Amino acid sequence: MYFLYFDPGLGAMIIQAIVAAVAGVLLFSKNLVYKIKLFFGATKSQEDELFDDINIEDSDIENKKSSDD
Amino acid sequence: MTTNIRHSSSFRDPSGYIFIDEGIVKRRIFPIYFKQYQALKKANIFETLSKAGLLIKHTEVSSSDTEIVIQPEQIPFITYPYEWSFNQYKEAALLTLKLQKYCLENDFSLKDATAFNVAFHNGKAVFVDTLSFDFYQDNSPWRAYKQFITHFLGPLVLAHFHGAQSLKLMSNFIDGIPIKMLSSMLPFKTKLNPFLYSNIHLLAKFEDKHNEDYKGEAKESKLSKKAQLNIITSLYDYIKKLSLKEHSEWGNYYDKTNYTDAAFTEKARIIDNWVTSLNAKSIIDVGGNDGTFVRQINHDFELALVCDIDNNSVDFNHKTLKSNKESNMLPFVLDVLNPSAAVGFENKERQSFIERIAKYAPDVTSALAVIHHMTLSGNVPFEMSAHFFASFSQNLIIEFPKREDSWVQRLLNTKGEFKAHFDFYTIENFENCYLSHFDLIEKRPIEGSHRVMFFLKVKNDK
Repeated sequence: MYFLYFDPGLGAMIIQAIVAAVAGVLLFSKNLVYKIKLFFGATKSQEDELFDDINIEDSDIENKKSSDD
Repeated sequence: MTTNIRHSSSFRDPSGYIFIDEGIVKRRIFPIYFKQYQALKKANIFETLSKAGLLIKHTEVSSSDTEIVIQPEQIPFITYPYEWSFNQYKEAALLTLKLQKYCLENDFSLKDATAFNVAFHNGKAVFVDTLSFDFYQDNSPWRAYKQFITHFLGPLVLAHFHGAQSLKLMSNFIDGIPIKMLSSMLPFKTKLNPFLYSNIHLLAKFEDKHNEDYKGEAKESKLSKKAQLNIITSLYDYIKKLSLKEHSEWGNYYDKTNYTDAAFTEKARIIDNWVTSLNAKSIIDVGGNDGTFVRQINHDFELALVCDIDNNSVDFNHKTLKSNKESNMLPFVLDVLNPSAAVGFENKERQSFIERIAKYAPDVTSALAVIHHMTLSGNVPFEMSAHFFASFSQNLIIEFPKREDSWVQRLLNTKGEFKAHFDFYTIENFENCYLSHFDLIEKRPIEGSHRVMFFLKVKNDK
């Protein structure tokens, strides 16, 4: 059960279906463009990026463990 | 036995609250949240996320049928969202999305997504609200979606279009930028962007349309987990790429100063000696720009707070500390002439800068190349600035540029016909005013410049 201690906004709950559909199309097309670029070897290196990917890698967890001990 | 005094910022979530027990921050959890807490513990969510450095670590202190008490790792100094630079804000937003994605994959969900759930600690953003995690309910939309938009996406997009100063809006709108206002403030072309149109403009329309449904009669909406993950991922991708349009001046700041290299090195050497003699563990550098000077000091601080009025300088400092993987530097945006106020319920929910810094009480304050700006641009009399500097730290290292200094001349010339009103700006007056609050430990002119360094200690007999 959720605790309704703040108003999530009814409109905001309903609209998520639309937002998700738009996001789905955007992600799909982005992926397609990426694959095409990859095919032609035109992808940029990601080494200079300040922020990592959304996924938490196993290495993140293990690295932290050893550095904190 | 623990005390029962609830922290003034912890009242919104009925699952539990933060309290201070003999100076230690602890969190009390009520039975209403036991099921979630135990499930999260069993699924190793707390452990995994804190090992990954995304969630603040905690240990369980006590557990009974009526309450569980946990003690989180203590954070010495909290900065608020309206004190973050653009990329710090981005980091906090990305952290929240990362957590939500991880939660969804493990059948949990963040029940709220306020920017105040994030703090900067050990050189990175960390989620501090251990009770924000709840069970994921199949096919339900994200309850915290609107909160995420008004707390994170909104301010960041405003900053992208209108400059990083927009982030200061959060000091008033602590529940997030109102969605309708947000939508109205964005340029028309954002309506042509499907991502921004759906996440902001359409959201504003929907919220407007449904805000009168007090009976809650509208049908509960459904959203698959895959669809919710699409929202989270697209928000992540968009925010990750978001940048400021304005260009920062930091790059050549140190080239523009009127220092010779020798004077710069000498200044650093003087400060080194003083800081070492104090064996200072903590410092606040007021007007510290991008942290260049603090990094120049040959002394290991446990924590160096570096604040500056310029969001871009703070941002550059944040980038530097991230690429150097420094964990003892905490940059934040602060206008000395208008430091963050106490806001929220009873003016106690978010503490003022003065309150937080006085409580933290850094071993030493450094104020380099600041006093002439405070006095000549801000018109703050020496007496008042001395009182300010004496209020939160025992030691002050302050640089005084004399009237002959080119910067001072420049500032005086902008005063035009009122220039004579600033005749009081002399080193004698400065010393007189400051020595009524401080004892002079040492005074050293910097050779090759018109500047004098002062090492002062607060008079404690007052």
